[in-house]
Amino acid sequence: MSVDVEKILRPIDTSLPPFPAKFMTLSNGQEMMVRQVNRDEIPDILPHVEKLMHVERDYYHIVAARVYAELLAYYTYRVQDEYVLIAQVDGEIVAVVNGRIVNPDIGMSYHTLAMRRGLRVGAHTFAAKMEYHIDILKQKEVLIVAESPIGFRRWMIEYKLEKRFHIPHELGGCPSWSLTKELFDRARNTLVVGRRPVPEKLLAKAHAAILPPTDPPKPPEDLLAATRSMLDNTGTSLIEMKRRLGGM
Amino acid sequence: MELNIYAYKCKRCGEIHYPYKTICKKCGENDHNEFEIVPLPKKGKLLTFTILHNPPSDYEVPTISLGIVELEGGQRITGQLNIKNPKIGMNVEGKIEVVRKEAYNKHLGMVFYQA
Amino acid sequence: MREVYVAGIGITSFTRLEYPLVEIAAYPGLMALRDSGLKKIDQLYVANMGSGRVNAQTGLASAVVDHLSLTPAGAVTIENGPASGASAIKEGFMAIASGMHDVVMVIGAERMREVNQLEATDFVATLTHPLAEYIYGVTLPSLAGMFARLYMEKYGVTSRHLAMVAVKNHHNAMDNFYAHLHEEITLEGILDSPEASTNNPYVADPLRFYDMCPVSDGGACLILTTAEVMKKINKPMIRIAGIGQATDTHAVHERKDPTDLLAVREAARQSFEMAKVKPQDVDVAELHDAFTILEIAESEEVGFFKKGEGHIALEKGETKIGGKIPINPSGGLKAKGHPVGATGVGQAHEIVLQLRGEAKKRQMQNAKIGFTCNFGGFGNNVVCLTFIKEK
Ligand SMILES: CC(C)(COP(=O)(O)OP(=O)(O)OC[C@H]1O[C@@H](n2cnc3c(N)ncnc32)[C@H](O)[C@@H]1OP(=O)(O)O)[C@@H](O)C(=O)NCCC(=O)NCCS
Ligand SMILES: [Zn+2]
Repeated sequence: MSVDVEKILRPIDTSLPPFPAKFMTLSNGQEMMVRQVNRDEIPDILPHVEKLMHVERDYYHIVAARVYAELLAYYTYRVQDEYVLIAQVDGEIVAVVNGRIVNPDIGMSYHTLAMRRGLRVGAHTFAAKMEYHIDILKQKEVLIVAESPIGFRRWMIEYKLEKRFHIPHELGGCPSWSLTKELFDRARNTLVVGRRPVPEKLLAKAHAAILPPTDPPKPPEDLLAATRSMLDNTGTSLIEMKRRLGGM
Repeated sequence: MELNIYAYKCKRCGEIHYPYKTICKKCGENDHNEFEIVPLPKKGKLLTFTILHNPPSDYEVPTISLGIVELEGGQRITGQLNIKNPKIGMNVEGKIEVVRKEAYNKHLGMVFYQA
Repeated sequence: MREVYVAGIGITSFTRLEYPLVEIAAYPGLMALRDSGLKKIDQLYVANMGSGRVNAQTGLASAVVDHLSLTPAGAVTIENGPASGASAIKEGFMAIASGMHDVVMVIGAERMREVNQLEATDFVATLTHPLAEYIYGVTLPSLAGMFARLYMEKYGVTSRHLAMVAVKNHHNAMDNFYAHLHEEITLEGILDSPEASTNNPYVADPLRFYDMCPVSDGGACLILTTAEVMKKINKPMIRIAGIGQATDTHAVHERKDPTDLLAVREAARQSFEMAKVKPQDVDVAELHDAFTILEIAESEEVGFFKKGEGHIALEKGETKIGGKIPINPSGGLKAKGHPVGATGVGQAHEIVLQLRGEAKKRQMQNAKIGFTCNFGGFGNNVVCLTFIKEK
């Protein structure tokens, strides 16, 4: 019987063309590779996302919690037509992005989570995700929302996204913004980078193992700093404070 | 009425100031601060320029171009450029246009075009 | 005039700090008190540029003196744009030299990350000329862009030279625990690779992203005192030997030659003259590289190199740690960070570390004479300091 229930609960994924891996040079000269991961690799990614759920600044906590749920849903077949891309530097995971295909024309961008700061790894990986929707899946537009001011600047402002406020986004029903093929074409020369094919060595290194990020965003060091930041609009660490005091 | 940007000419020594100063920078005489208001010329040469890709947030455009222009007569002015491919040394001509909006205020200033 | 010495120093990380401005100011004060072993001060100067606007807090010095429980010492806040820090040191110097006070604490503190980047840039842009510059949308990066374009054309400086400044300063900051950016960058990553123009986009053409300093929070402190008090505390004798300050026109276009940094030249000249040293005697310097082009231009104006030859010295590695005259061993504003009001004090902090021989991995061997240039406005208010280590 239970087998039948599972059949009902599990959506049937459309078969989608894969995202062809690409690589790029970062400002520090290191090479970063962006590739698609399959279901079996999800458990290797989850622990690194989980740590960020406790980083109560720059909206890392909410984005990480949602990404965690979405990856889990993907792993356990509870979301339809989702895909996950990751960025790796020397095998180390530095960013996760994901999204979903709503119908052949419309894509739904879920999240971008950067695990290393200051090198545009988030922006590069987001661009790869847009490339997947527009160039590989040939979709007409992608619906996007931002949860953080940094995200807003990176997506809405840098790509000059169009408003689709009448369409509630799948993330919390917030008003959507849209990246159309036309906007993407305009950004192509400046924001979308990467080279293919990826050299064998890089590919092998990336596939060998998903290593933990060396310098991920961390919660504030000092409990006092967290307490004080209750008054602070750059990082309200109320939850973090309660957690450390043992309340949660 | 033709719009102008005005400079301040010292009534004693004739030195022209833009922007306004309380004491003349040339004769430095502080027993008077009388200036004649004279319109700045509009033609000149582009001395240097920049294309600003993150203009202040009240501008609803992705970039603004700014430049320093040496006007006929040697006065200099900072202004906006409305020129596709600006080059140092090119001849430009200014028009007075809205250069910034703040709520219902509109600031007028010099916008330069290729001459 | 009495001689003035640095008795103690303290600093916070220059980064995004998640606690109130008063504490950002007080913490380095506490460190400096501990460093000096002193318990009381006569006078406090707090350098800060934006607390009224950015943090909705005025009367900062009064709040800080109380926070440190140093009342009833006198306290004054000093706002002098990005040159606030060194200006406050000058005030502290004068207070002691004149005989008015014996122990003076000088703090620089700023908290700019409380608002977003656009607001922070706009707040700094308010120091441009309100009628002749600001209304056109002029910001500090755009003034630097215009300056750089002319400078590059005139002296053959290229984007590669500018990037070399950034690479050097990012590298120096790797060894500075308190620096904002701890990330090596490479010419390949920001200029040569196919992705470089995305990694390093134009911000104020010809200046790019990596030509600009980050927006930082941070605080730094110096305690100044007399030779007499120095005898009681066992600290290296670092003397403030020269101070120069000069101004220039408010609107940049009014300058005869817009690539001339007259105020830098004049302030440096005064400072060297007062210290009775020559630019060539300097062992280590912190210059105000809010934009990479400024490090090159200032290195010429203060007299380290001939006009138009700063970028050649840079190419030869003369400004690296271990070079002829290391510039910005701390990482400079570019990589150490630029909390505007704190910067001048931060620069002095680095020089004192270097002269004391406490700069660890980035130490310049046997440094005896140090120099700082704190550049306010776009070069319209500049303060230069010369420090000498005595035996
Ligand atoms: C949004 C995001 C993906 C962008 O990633 P990115 O393109 O690699 O950009 P970064 O995060 O490295 O840099 C952006 C900002 O962070 C700052 N930053 C850089 N290094 C930093 C560090 N080590 N610590 C804190 N902030 C840092 C940068 O200075 C920049 O801010 P500024 O321009 O105001 O100075 C990433 O910030 C992120 O994962 N944020 C949390 C989750 C989130 O908001 N996702 C988007 C949801 S729509
Ligand atoms: Zn006169």
